[in-house]
Amino acid sequence: MPAFADLRRRVESWARPRRPEVLPARLDRRRIYILPTGFGAFVTALLATMAIGALNYNNNPALLLCLLLVGAALASLLWTQLQLSGLEIRAVHGEPVAAGTPMPLHVHVEAAPGRERRGLRVVIGDSAALLSLGESGGEATVALPTVRRGWLTSPRLRISTTRPLGLARAWSWVWPTTRFLVYPTPEASGPPLPEGGGDEAQARLNPAGEELHHLRDWRSGDAPRTIAWKASARRNTLIVREFERPQGDDLTLDWQRLGALDPESKIRRLARWVDEAEREAVRYRLQLPGQPVIGPDRGAAHRHACLRALALLPDAG
Amino acid sequence: MARTALALDTAGRRWSLIAAAVCLLPLLLQLPMPLPLVIAGAGAIAAGMASRRAAPGWLRTVLALAVFGLVLAQGGMNFGRDTGCALLAGMLAIKPSELRTVRDARSLLGFALFAPFATFLLDQGPLSLVLGLVGAVLVLAALARVSEQESGLPAAGVRHATRIGIVARLIAIGLPLALAAFWLFPRLATPLWGIPDLSTARPGLSDEMSPGDWIDLIADDTPAMRVTFRGAEPSTRGMYWRGPTLTQYDGRTWTASQWLRSLPPATVEHGAPTWDYEIALEPTERNLLVALEMPLAFPDGMRAAHEYTLTSERRLDRVTRWQLRSAPPTRFEADLPDSLRRLALQLPEDFNPRTRALAQRWRAETADDGALVDRALAWIRSDFAYTLDTPLPGRHAVDEFLFDYRAGFCEHFSSAFAVLMREAGIPSRVVTGYTGGTRNRFGNYWIVRRMDAHAWNEVWLEGRGWVRVDPTAAVAPERIYDTLEDRLGADAGGGALPMADLGDWARRAWNDFVLGFDAARQQRMLQRIGFENIDTGGLAALFSLCAALALGWMLWLVARTERERDPLLRAWHRLGHQYARLGLARERHEPAIAWAERVRAARPHEAALVALTHRFVAARYAPSASDATLVRALRAHRPSRETAR
Repeated sequence: MPAFADLRRRVESWARPRRPEVLPARLDRRRIYILPTGFGAFVTALLATMAIGALNYNNNPALLLCLLLVGAALASLLWTQLQLSGLEIRAVHGEPVAAGTPMPLHVHVEAAPGRERRGLRVVIGDSAALLSLGESGGEATVALPTVRRGWLTSPRLRISTTRPLGLARAWSWVWPTTRFLVYPTPEASGPPLPEGGGDEAQARLNPAGEELHHLRDWRSGDAPRTIAWKASARRNTLIVREFERPQGDDLTLDWQRLGALDPESKIRRLARWVDEAEREAVRYRLQLPGQPVIGPDRGAAHRHACLRALALLPDAG
Repeated sequence: MARTALALDTAGRRWSLIAAAVCLLPLLLQLPMPLPLVIAGAGAIAAGMASRRAAPGWLRTVLALAVFGLVLAQGGMNFGRDTGCALLAGMLAIKPSELRTVRDARSLLGFALFAPFATFLLDQGPLSLVLGLVGAVLVLAALARVSEQESGLPAAGVRHATRIGIVARLIAIGLPLALAAFWLFPRLATPLWGIPDLSTARPGLSDEMSPGDWIDLIADDTPAMRVTFRGAEPSTRGMYWRGPTLTQYDGRTWTASQWLRSLPPATVEHGAPTWDYEIALEPTERNLLVALEMPLAFPDGMRAAHEYTLTSERRLDRVTRWQLRSAPPTRFEADLPDSLRRLALQLPEDFNPRTRALAQRWRAETADDGALVDRALAWIRSDFAYTLDTPLPGRHAVDEFLFDYRAGFCEHFSSAFAVLMREAGIPSRVVTGYTGGTRNRFGNYWIVRRMDAHAWNEVWLEGRGWVRVDPTAAVAPERIYDTLEDRLGADAGGGALPMADLGDWARRAWNDFVLGFDAARQQRMLQRIGFENIDTGGLAALFSLCAALALGWMLWLVARTERERDPLLRAWHRLGHQYARLGLARERHEPAIAWAERVRAARPHEAALVALTHRFVAARYAPSASDATLVRALRAHRPSRETAR
């Protein structure tokens, strides 16, 4: 129902907060919304029927029972609302992931002690996570879908609860100004890492058996001569030899050398090469157009610096 | 949606089943055997089956049809309130057969809440009320568990006691609102639609009487009514609670005359003294009322037939109360019109030949009606005995009683006496009602039980009108006038009876404030606290006010836990708020002293604040330096009046 979804979006756009806010954000009654659930509507109808019946028959025990239930139901609404009231969203951080994989988003929440707050839900789109606060606050991890590389601005998070009776859902939106970095999607398959800088030819001519490091699955772009035919025959799939590279032989991943590929493909290939270089524990440098060379180095920080540079390259379009 | 199909976990399932079973229990207790056994069995089967996998649809249909058929067969195909309740019970028992998802559990629990409601339509006894309340609490607890599961909390995370505690707290928080609504919500003076009959009625006073059919009633010691006197009280022997008057006799059964019902009340001359009293009548599901004879005036909603058979305009489905004033009659219908005289002498043909012969012999020997009555009483006193063990009467029931058995209880005596008088040409009739009562020593009221039901006679004598004659009293006065205590023996129940009295007194209070509470009682309660003649609008306003107060209280109660527990910190935050109002709130990252200095920079007269802050920091971070007066000093502090120039 597109009309319904449109209406929903419009209504949500009126909800507070209407623009991103700097964390920490504190939930108070001005931004907590509460509406009965379907079950709540059912119970309301049920209690109304009981009340009318009890009043009509002047049946006081029935009326008293009905009113006790009404009282408890109203108290549960307050309780539901107060589960959220006073929550403080301290921070939201996401671990960078490659575009296309969902990013785990850690939401840190604190609240003044004295009220038990368990069974809250943190929701982004279709993804939800349980949030239960202990004495020192709590954390929920939700999966945020990622589509493209670069900065991802935080969406509005919804924190909601239907406890204790499931009669009403209270929710509040949190819209942090936080940005999350999304790395480029590595190329699925492509040529292997280029050989070490300067003496490429020599390395190619020296596929010595004793320097063999390990075998791996064939990927398109692998040279036919690197295929380990015997091993491939045994496993019924193509296997290629990977060669140990001498230490100290720094690798250069150069944008310019990638030839006529379109920029996004270049970015994806370089992203894959960064990962492969890390896996093979090679020192590498990244040369991007119009930027100083990054490296040579290796390790998590270097990888992050490289992938960040790749992620933040301007769009081709 | 995915959420509605969320499968119910074991804990939620167990809670739901227990809650539904407890809700169902009081309803089952009200149903006639063997329905409760069958319904409970069907429930067990349904719950057992569904614990493995959802029961197939055809099986559920078969179960439902079986229960439905049995209920209808039991109710004799007439569809009354109890039949409806039995159907509800049956449906509720079968419902667990599809208890698979969270959604199923919720519909079962919602449905289960109707069971106590239905029970209260049938019975408002303490057991039903307690079970109903427990059932409702369990339903809420089950809802809490289902909601926990929906939120993703594991079953092991919350203890059962905690869950019950949450529900108890919710009810306690909602209680003021519920009570305000209960006592102040405008009540319907007349119902919008009637309550359907019970298809099987309990025995009680009725418009007819066949000798022998009161045996059940005489064994029933439940209260029929409670009476509070204001001022003078009659003696126990004078307490004849007059109910239906029966005039027509067909040889076996006495019935009330519908014709007499339509006539205006007969003229009565009242004697002294007068008694003012209030009757709180337990529900009977009929319209018949009783009053101490003879009432001087009739309250609204009550009307009297010609022979002072009292009826209520509405059926007595709940506890009702009646303000009455009575006095003993001196002359009751002194002039008996011929048509009424014929009615009071009417007898079926070809019944009781021996009685007729005796009456004609006495008539010939005794000229005076009064003397004839005395002679009959003297005969009964000397030759008759009181017993509840009576054989089934044959065609000539009165002959058999007067000449063969000579033993029976009030129904036999009154019936035979009336026949004997009519045969002798003296107009007579049977009056049913209650006699006597037991005083409750705590509440200072009289309790009249169903076992106090009695039947006596009235004979019409020239110049005096209708005169009460009680042939049973001639034989067994102790059966009629004695209190329950006398019957049980003073020493036998010496310890237990005060407890029984106390119990009944509590029950009466419950009747007063809960069961019998209605529009009229509401008015009286408000008058007592100073609201004279409040109209519906005023009542609504008063209700709204109290409801708002109660809601405010609820909010405060729920929000209260947010309060800082440490008094020192509380005082410190309070002080902080005062500066926050001036736009000088302490930043989160700002140490206390830095903040105080910043405030002083903005407002040069805040030296006191800086000193206080130093004391606060010392007390907070060097606990050995105890500062007894600090909390008070923090509370007393106000931002200085002078602002920065």
